[in-house]
Amino acid sequence: MKPRHNMDIYALTWRLPVLVWQTLFFIAPLVFMIAMSFFLVKNYRMVEAFELVNWMKMFSRDYFWDSYVLSLGLAALATICATALAFPASYALAFMVSDNIRRWAIFFLIIPYFTSYLVRIFSWYVLLAEAGIANGVLGYLGLGPFTMLNTAFATIVGYMALTLPLVVILQTLSMANIDRSLIEAAHNLGAGRLRTIVSVVVPAGKVGLIVGALFCFILSFGDFVSPYYLGGSKPPTLTILITDTTKSGQQWPRAAVVAVTMMATLMVIAYSAIRYAYNRRQP
Amino acid sequence: MGAAQFVLENVAKRFGNQVAVNPMNLEIRSGEFLAIMGPSGCGKTTTLRMLAGLEAPSEGEIRLNGVRINEFKPHERETPMVWQSLALFPFLNVRENVEFGLKMRGVPKAERAERAHRWLQRLEIDQFAERDIGNLSGGQRQRVALARALVTEPPVLLLDEPLSALDANLVVRMQTVLIRLQKELGITFVYVTHSQSEAFAMADRIVIMNEGSVEQVGTPREIYRAPTNRFVAEFVGTNNIIEGTVSSRKAGMLECDTALGCIRTLCGENNPIHPGNRVDLVIGADLIEVSAEPIWSDNCFPAAFIGEEFVGSVATLHFETESGDEIRVQKQQRETESLELAHGKPLYLHWDADTVYCLASRTSDERGE
Repeated sequence: MKPRHNMDIYALTWRLPVLVWQTLFFIAPLVFMIAMSFFLVKNYRMVEAFELVNWMKMFSRDYFWDSYVLSLGLAALATICATALAFPASYALAFMVSDNIRRWAIFFLIIPYFTSYLVRIFSWYVLLAEAGIANGVLGYLGLGPFTMLNTAFATIVGYMALTLPLVVILQTLSMANIDRSLIEAAHNLGAGRLRTIVSVVVPAGKVGLIVGALFCFILSFGDFVSPYYLGGSKPPTLTILITDTTKSGQQWPRAAVVAVTMMATLMVIAYSAIRYAYNRRQP
Repeated sequence: MGAAQFVLENVAKRFGNQVAVNPMNLEIRSGEFLAIMGPSGCGKTTTLRMLAGLEAPSEGEIRLNGVRINEFKPHERETPMVWQSLALFPFLNVRENVEFGLKMRGVPKAERAERAHRWLQRLEIDQFAERDIGNLSGGQRQRVALARALVTEPPVLLLDEPLSALDANLVVRMQTVLIRLQKELGITFVYVTHSQSEAFAMADRIVIMNEGSVEQVGTPREIYRAPTNRFVAEFVGTNNIIEGTVSSRKAGMLECDTALGCIRTLCGENNPIHPGNRVDLVIGADLIEVSAEPIWSDNCFPAAFIGEEFVGSVATLHFETESGDEIRVQKQQRETESLELAHGKPLYLHWDADTVYCLASRTSDERGE
């Protein structure tokens, strides 16, 4: 029994930093935020309390639910776009190029994250403006000008700038790891290229495809920059609602309600997605 | 054994500068069990993959029933294959794996289920139909892979070392399953292996390959007793090969000078070997007798016992001759008991002239061709 006991202490020593970190920087703020959602604001000052008034106020306002549906919808649309746009690229990188080219491609896909997201969004601002580069090119072709800024389209473009490289990387890595003999076996059993993708590549790379989609959803759902600067902040997403609420009358507790609701939503979605990803039986 | 099904005419395969298969000619007959055997890297798997269309020949022509199939895509051929890794789909259960080929051919659902069930039953795995692949034993997976390949009732089955991952007694069981299936279905099996015992146990004909070239094609008996060159003689593991020079040829009897002394062997009338020729004498380890006293025989040499190894009931005895050459002898283990073997014990090895197989030496120039 004694060596076993020592092992536990040894293992615990290594786990301890992670536990401390998680407690300090994740669980404690979360608990504080949940607690704050029950506080009151009196004379522009927060007062510790335990009242349900913030929850009832927020949940009874139509603008909250409008923002909620808008945020879910935009994030879902971004997820569909990113997954669909990334798949052909990832498929090509996973199956149609050499290992060396794939490594370089992944390296170049990481590079966008070297620059500030804010800087990238302002670049898109310039590109998509009424007299911007995109409309310039379209005008040269005799099209437009189109109003792109301050639309959902621009918001989605911003979300893509944020998530698309990551989704491509995740999809590529999972598909590159598919056992080649499975694909050969599908051909061998009479499946052409397209049927092989549908019936073998997608199910075999399911985990990577879902994790990629999940990351896109989480990042888009929680993003403030793109809907604010490219989407024009109207109608507001939940993230914009949080900043608006804190600005107007120091309503930190009500912002906490929004944040906790977002957190709970993401928890449910992430849990379901991961569960589905690792569920080996097909529906 | 039917007519030629596959014909490979001057088929070669190169990967970049690397030659995988030199131009080869081979006829695979309809309904035969053909084993392609050779050391790793000899081109046997590449040859099999060319039949399945998974590799395109760099030159030459592959014909199936007289029709050139070089340009046919893998999914346009009916050449199902069983992989060394089995390549079962881990995201499908047993039944869905078996149904895969039928589904791709657009067979309706009910018929699919019925045909898959028939094959699962035939291979005695129907009770696992709804199980995940991960929850099967090695032998059960093997059967799933066979069912998946055979469910479309193809004219040929390609097998790429399918038994190499199984333990020894399971290999023997699966061999009988394969032999029975092949006889019952009457379809062609092309079986790639590096294992002699698998090839000899199952195949009607064996192709021996080495460094991308076919060394010999023949029945197991021909390969075993009448190797056409030294590589085959050595590759078929239990032969002793003794180099020598022919000293005389009289009435079908050859006498050869070797390090051991004079070895006598028979020689057919058409055999073009003459005195002065360099030869390799092939003596099967199981054809050598051991005795305590010298015996009047065509060939009898003193040798000291130096060691033995067992595989089951068969013992391989190692002897050292006075010339310092090592000779291997295979005996039933119980036969060796009467010899009272002990390290260094002097004994006599003898064999008849008609058990020696005489090969003209291939010089290094000839091997290069």
